Amino acid sequence: MARVALEIPKVGLVMEQARLVRWLKNVGDTVTQGEPILELETEKSLVEIESTETGRLVEQLLAVDAEVHIGDQAAWLETDAASSAGVRAGSLPAASPSAARGAESGAGNASAPGGAAKSGGATASTAPSASAGNAAPTSAPRSASVGGAAPASAPRSASVGGAAPASAPRSASVGGAAPAIAPRAAPNEAAASTSARSIPPPSGTGSANARGATNAPPTRIMCSPVARRLAAQNGLDLRTVKGTGPRGRIQLADVRHAIEAKAPASGPQPLSSMRRAVARSMTISATTIPQFIVSQSVDWTAVQAKRTELNAHLQHGAPKITVNDFLLQAIARALLTYPALNSTFRGNPDSPDAAIVPAQGAHIGLVVAVENGLLVPILHDVQQLGLADLARRRADTVDRALKSRLKQAELEGGTFSLSNLGARGPDRFTAIVNPPQSAILAVGRQRDCVVAINGGIHVRPMSELSLTVDHRVADGRLASEFLRYLVEILEGNEWRA
Amino acid sequence: MTQTFIEILRRALDEELARDKAVHLLGEDVAAGGAFGVTRGLAQKHGETRVRNTPISEAAITGMATGAALCGLRPVLEIMFIDFATLSLDCLVNQSAKYRYMSGGQLSVPMVVRTQAGAAGGAAAQHSQSLEAWFIHVPGLIVVAPSSPLEAYGLLKSAIRMEDPVLFIEHKRLYTMRQEMPATVELPPIGRARVARAGDDLTLIAYSAMVPTALEAAEELARSGVSVEVLDLRTLLPLDMETIAASVSKTHRVLIAHEAVQNGGVGAEIAARIGSELFDELDAPVTRVGCPFVPIPFAPELEHALLPGRENIVRAARELLGTQG
Repeated sequence: MARVALEIPKVGLVMEQARLVRWLKNVGDTVTQGEPILELETEKSLVEIESTETGRLVEQLLAVDAEVHIGDQAAWLETDAASSAGVRAGSLPAASPSAARGAESGAGNASAPGGAAKSGGATASTAPSASAGNAAPTSAPRSASVGGAAPASAPRSASVGGAAPASAPRSASVGGAAPAIAPRAAPNEAAASTSARSIPPPSGTGSANARGATNAPPTRIMCSPVARRLAAQNGLDLRTVKGTGPRGRIQLADVRHAIEAKAPASGPQPLSSMRRAVARSMTISATTIPQFIVSQSVDWTAVQAKRTELNAHLQHGAPKITVNDFLLQAIARALLTYPALNSTFRGNPDSPDAAIVPAQGAHIGLVVAVENGLLVPILHDVQQLGLADLARRRADTVDRALKSRLKQAELEGGTFSLSNLGARGPDRFTAIVNPPQSAILAVGRQRDCVVAINGGIHVRPMSELSLTVDHRVADGRLASEFLRYLVEILEGNEWRA
Repeated sequence: MTQTFIEILRRALDEELARDKAVHLLGEDVAAGGAFGVTRGLAQKHGETRVRNTPISEAAITGMATGAALCGLRPVLEIMFIDFATLSLDCLVNQSAKYRYMSGGQLSVPMVVRTQAGAAGGAAAQHSQSLEAWFIHVPGLIVVAPSSPLEAYGLLKSAIRMEDPVLFIEHKRLYTMRQEMPATVELPPIGRARVARAGDDLTLIAYSAMVPTALEAAEELARSGVSVEVLDLRTLLPLDMETIAASVSKTHRVLIAHEAVQNGGVGAEIAARIGSELFDELDAPVTRVGCPFVPIPFAPELEHALLPGRENIVRAARELLGTQG
């Protein structure tokens, strides 16, 4: 019987601690490798932690709201290799509270194969490779071949076959567990039973659980529409609200109470994890990164025309293409043209291993203001996306940022950020670099300006762009060339729809 | 001095007959006062040409009135029971409601079909129905259902002055209701609901005789601290969604009460429109109170047991608010 400890993995580059928000699996649930088992709140987002093993959750070692650290043991998982025998015991509840008991009764019940079953169990628990049973589909060939190769473990694979409903006719005789038949059947049927086993998980009870668990839709929060709207307007996570309505429905009063409870108190306030992360990152930026700024105006006439044209032909329901999408595409192109800016600075300037690390592809952060802070989700490989796809990706990413549902990978790997305070923003502003990135573009409010073009007076929609650059990575000349090229793209007509 | 619904309604007809020579009354026994005595004395005062008895044929009365209206008169006909409006449906639905549309606006049918509806005093299954929902399904008609003598006074006068056919539903149970006639009554516009009682926790939508019942229920709920806003729809077609929206946006909970069965009722239409137009305002499912889906029984005890009353509304409101007991 294999019992595996699951540990808290490192999430992100800078995670030091996190809070356990909730368990996604309960004791007794079957967990498949890769399936989320718990949810952590790190400094920047909510992260689902996936199980690295397949098996049954037998013990949760961390409490909700507990502060957790990398490497903390989170749970005990009873892996599946030998437990099919345990489940077959029938008398044992599926939610076996103790792996030891499961093993015992499993072995004890397999009276016909006798010691063979026990040794089968022993094989599984002692040899980690036989915890092939961890992953239901892949375990099949291995346990079958084990069965074929070692006569001692043959009954085990037989019993496995017997428990698989899909192979019923054949395994009936095998699973009948007459020892005389089992060894003969096992080698011959290895391949066949592999395919049979690849359909259902290894045990009856287990399979029901596994299917229930994998296919169960995420718990829907019962909430009245007006309460949902109020919660959204106030950035209130409905999962934190207790519903007092019929069947636990969250109602308006519940959300109002939760908002009241959340109202800021007077006096010094401890930092939220979000504010702490912003404070830490910006302090690093301001104290360790020498930065300079170059500015230039951009004329939006061409972008506006293109945007109107493209939005008129969007598929129904597709998100509208915004100026940000044009900016992202233009930045991607400029970054690939000026790879010197598409990189990050690593290490202390004095240290021998200090280096400038170029990026592959254009990974651009988009600064998103969220409740009480900001997030910079990274849109990866922007150079591969047309404007419509970019709009879709950007809209989805921003939406999830607002809901704190970003994946950790979406907060990493960028070299450049875009900060656009929108139509209600200031005429011009400057930003500071978001480490470890090396540049950030601040986009001022678009407004009609009188400009001289070819000696004539024109009114054009203009914005002021301010590019802040990590001086360790690039110098003023490169930055100004980059910015000029970026403006050229924005004022031109070469767009990838 | 207070007057009954019947007396105040008679006064409205009397004044309209005096005000406009085009106004005529038609119906079974109307010259003799009609089955409920609403038109008593009007034939003597305005003449039997203008207050005219008809044969017992709802189809004929409606057809005659429609023709008269097309020719420039403003007939007010009386269909003794809405149960018998079935016999006038062809004319009402296929003719009266269609002329304005089919003539491209050249013709109009300014007539009022007064009819009596609802259960009162053991009139049994064929004389007690609330069939208003049938009529709100017909474009071209206007359906009005007053909730009190004074409401009826104003709404009837407004209806008579409309250019389109109006079904004017008088609840038999309201006929004995008394109110004092003020010196002047402002005529309510057709198509506007009224807030019969202001409140914050729940919007209770009612019409016709269910309005006084709803007000009683609101009073009882107020004693346990629940603030109910009662809307009197007054006009069922067209629905005043503006007033409904304003109220629902305030209370976020809706209870609709009518005497008609729920199935395909006016409440179903209101609930559907709230569901689609005001979804984000809702804090609880829109709930309805209506008659059980059976014919109205003859036995007064059974009739009483069947009709939705104050207790039904209070119970539904408490369930909706999650404050049982």
